[in-house]
Amino acid sequence: MPDIEFNEEDVLTRASEGDRDAFGLLYERYIDRIFNYVYYRTGNLHDAEDLTARVFQRAMNHIQNYTDRGVPFSAWLYRIAHNLVANWHRDRSRRQEIPINDVPVLPSKGDHPERNLVRSQEQDALLRLIRRLPGERQNLLILKFVENMSNAEIGAIMGRSEGAVKSLYHRTLLALRDQLGDQSINLDNE
Amino acid sequence: MWKSRTTLSEDQINALEAHLAGTLRPVTPPMDVVQRLRERIRFPQPEAIALRLRDWERMFFVFGGVMSGMLVLITVARALYYFFGKRHM
Repeated sequence: MPDIEFNEEDVLTRASEGDRDAFGLLYERYIDRIFNYVYYRTGNLHDAEDLTARVFQRAMNHIQNYTDRGVPFSAWLYRIAHNLVANWHRDRSRRQEIPINDVPVLPSKGDHPERNLVRSQEQDALLRLIRRLPGERQNLLILKFVENMSNAEIGAIMGRSEGAVKSLYHRTLLALRDQLGDQSINLDNE
Repeated sequence: MWKSRTTLSEDQINALEAHLAGTLRPVTPPMDVVQRLRERIRFPQPEAIALRLRDWERMFFVFGGVMSGMLVLITVARALYYFFGKRHM
C-alpha cells in the first residue's frame, strides 16, 4: 500500500471508533514487523503465527485505549507483542532451543558454496548465543537489526532512555564478544 | 585475549555488527500464514462473543423478548383449549 494514501492518524481514529476496515489497514502495515519480532523471539513458525494473531486481536480489542502521547502506534503494538512473548516464555518452564532450520539463511550472490556453509554454521551458532541472552537484550538486537530501529525508537518501545539503550547495546556486544571467544566464529577476518 | 578487556575496539564493533546483520535478517511471513491471520482477525473471536454476552442492555431485551413470546404462545394455547378442548369433553 503506498504511504501517500496512508494517513495513520486518520486510520487510527477510525479504527478506534470500531471501523474494522481501518484496523485492516493497520494490520497490513504492521503484520510483517510484528511477525518478525515474534518469530525471532519464539524461534518457530507455529508459535509466531499464534502470538502474532493474539497481538492484533488484543490491539483490536483495546485500540480505543491507545492515545498518542508521543509514543507511536508501532511502539504500542511492540509492547503488546513484548508482553505476550514474555508470557509465552513464562508459560514454559524450560527454555526451548530455537529450531535453526526454520530461520532462512540466504546465501550471498557469488559466494562459494563452501563459504556459504561456513557462514550458515556461524549464523546458527550466533543465533544460539543470542537465544541465551536475557529477553531484553534479545529484544534490543531484534529491534535494531531485524527492524532497523534507532536507539530512540527502541527506547520508546522498551520504556528506556536513548542513553540507556545505547549502554545496554554496548554491554550486549561485550557479552556476545566474550561468548564468541569460546566458539569457532572468527571476528578478526571480517 | 578478548576476555581480559572490558571495552570493544571499533573493529570488533564493526565485525560483531556485520555478523549480527547477517544473522538477524528480516523474514517475510509465508502468504498462507498472512492469510490465516487475516481471517482470524476478521472474524469474531471467543473473547468478542464473551464480551457481547456481557452486554446487559442487549441481554435484557433478549430475555424480555423470549418471555413475551412464551406468554403469547401460552395465551394462544389456552384460547385454543378453551374453544376446542371443551367440546370433546
